[in-house]
Amino acid sequence: MIKGRRRRAAGVWRLGALALLVACARNEVPTAPPSSPPAPRISRAVPEARGDIETLPDRKRRAVRYKGWPTEDFGAFRTYAYDDRRPEPRPASAPMPATPGDPAKGRQMFLSRNVGPCTGCHLVRGDDVWPAGNVGPDLSTYGDRNLPDEYTFNLIYDPRHVFPRTLMPPWGTDGVLTPADIADVVAFLKTQKGPVPPEKDAERNPATRPRPTGFGDNLDPTNNPAVVRAESAEALWNQKGPAGRACADCHAGGPAAAMKGVATRYPRHVARYGRVVGIEDVLSVHGPGTTGRPLPLESAENLDLAVAIKMASNGMPVALDLKSPENAAALRRGRDSFYRRVGQRNHACADCHTKVDGKGADKFLGGRLLADVETGLTRHFPTWRTSQGDVWDMRKRMQWCMTPLGANMLAADAVEYAELELYLASFDVGKPIDAPGIRH
Amino acid sequence: MAAIGQVKIRVPSGIKGGDIVRVRALVIHPMEIVERKDGKPVDKNYHFINRVIVTYLGKEIAQFDTSQSISENPFFAFAVKATDPGELKVIFLDTHGGRYEGTADIKLG
Repeated sequence: MIKGRRRRAAGVWRLGALALLVACARNEVPTAPPSSPPAPRISRAVPEARGDIETLPDRKRRAVRYKGWPTEDFGAFRTYAYDDRRPEPRPASAPMPATPGDPAKGRQMFLSRNVGPCTGCHLVRGDDVWPAGNVGPDLSTYGDRNLPDEYTFNLIYDPRHVFPRTLMPPWGTDGVLTPADIADVVAFLKTQKGPVPPEKDAERNPATRPRPTGFGDNLDPTNNPAVVRAESAEALWNQKGPAGRACADCHAGGPAAAMKGVATRYPRHVARYGRVVGIEDVLSVHGPGTTGRPLPLESAENLDLAVAIKMASNGMPVALDLKSPENAAALRRGRDSFYRRVGQRNHACADCHTKVDGKGADKFLGGRLLADVETGLTRHFPTWRTSQGDVWDMRKRMQWCMTPLGANMLAADAVEYAELELYLASFDVGKPIDAPGIRH
Repeated sequence: MAAIGQVKIRVPSGIKGGDIVRVRALVIHPMEIVERKDGKPVDKNYHFINRVIVTYLGKEIAQFDTSQSISENPFFAFAVKATDPGELKVIFLDTHGGRYEGTADIKLG
C-alpha cells in the first residue's frame, strides 16, 4: 500500500513539475537558481525514517523503523496519509461468551503492558498497579455499581455503542481482545468493590501523584546534552561540501548570527518547494542543493543543524504567517489531521493533547503527564529526551506517537506531518522559542 | 560532534566560604564502547577516559578511575567544600594519551 501511495505521489509531483515548466515557459520566468531544487518527489529521510514496509521471505510484512522500535505492520488500520481514504471503522459487536470469565486472568490482562494496558487510563485496586493513569474513570469500585455483565462487555468490545465520542479504543472491533479476553476483564471488574483502603503511596494514585517539575536549565551543556549538538553544527557550517561550498559562504557569521529569527517563521508554505516545510525539510533539500552534502531528515547532521538554527531564535516569539492562502489551507488540513481518528486504537491527537470535553491533556497516561496543545508542543523541539537518551526533532516525536496509536508511521518529511506541525505550532505563536528542551 | 576534549565546568554562583557546592564537569569525548565479534570482545586499545583528576587551589583533591560503561560526552558531578576563592581544575586522561583540562574560578560572594 505504501509503495502504491509513493508511486501515485510521484506521479502527482511529475505532473506538478510539468505544469511548472509550462508556466515558466509561458511567462518567461527564469528557472529557479540551482540552490532551489524542486520539491522532493521521494522521501529525503534516512532509510529507517521513511515509513517503509518490507516483505520478509516468509511473506510476513514488517515495518522498517528506527533501531529498537517495534516493527509490527499496522497496514490494516488508517494512517495520517492524505490519500488514505478509509473511513473510521464502524462499531462492531459480538455475543458475550456463555461461560463466565476468570477474574485472575482478567486482572493480568488489565495490567499487561503488552495488551492495553487498561491501567494506562484507569486506576484499579492493588499495590502492584503502577503506574496507573487517570484519562479514564477510576474503576476501584466499579463492582459496587452492579452493572449488567452484558453492558460492561459491550462497553469494552466497542465503547462507541454507549459513548459515541469516547476516547477509549474499540478493543473488540479492532481485534486486540477476543470475546473470551473481554469476559475475563468483565469478571475482574466485578471484583472491584469498596471501601478503598487508604493510599500507602501517593505516587500510585494519579489523583495524588506529584506533577513533574522539569529538568532544570536546558541551555546548560552539563544538563542538556542536546546543546553540544549545536556546537557540532557550527563546525559543519564552515566545512565545504562536495560541491565546494559551505553554509558559511552564503550565511556568514555562523548559525547563531545568520539564522537569527529564521526558526520563528517555520513551518510555512514555500512556493519554491510547493508545500509546507519545516526547518528539517528545508535542510534536506537546500543543503544538498547548495553544498552537495546530503542532509537527510533524522540524520545526525540534519539534527545538529536544526538544533543550532532553532537555538538562533531562542527567546524570540514564534511568528508564523497563518494568513496566506497556502498556509491557511495547510493549517485547516493540519487541524483535520489533529482530530482524525487513526490506527488500531482509533485515537486522534486531540484525545490526548486537548482538554475540551474532558479529554486527556494534563492527565496521566500511565506515569506520564500528557501535554496540552494549548501550552505549545513545538517551541522546545528538537528536544533532549531523558527516557531515550537522545535528541529528537518534532517529526521523530510524531513518528513515535504512531506506536501507541497502532498506526504505520509516515516518512519524517511527509507533508501530512509538516502541516500537522504547522497546526501545532500555531498554538505557539507569540510564545518564545526555547530550544533544545529537556523532556521525559 | 563538537571538538573532542572540550571541557565545560559549571559552578553555582553566590557561594559563601565553607559552603559545600556541587560542581558539574562535562567533556566532549566519544567514549568508545566494546566491540564484539562472534560474541567475544575484540581486544584493542579502546578510546575512553580512564582517569579524572580534580585540583583545587593547586592541590589535588580527588581522583576518579572511570571505565567504558560511561556514556559519550560524559559529565561528572561532585561536591567540593569551597574554603577559599581560587581555581578549580578538572583534568581528563584517556587511554590514547589524551589530556583534556578545564578550569573554573570559585568566587566567594
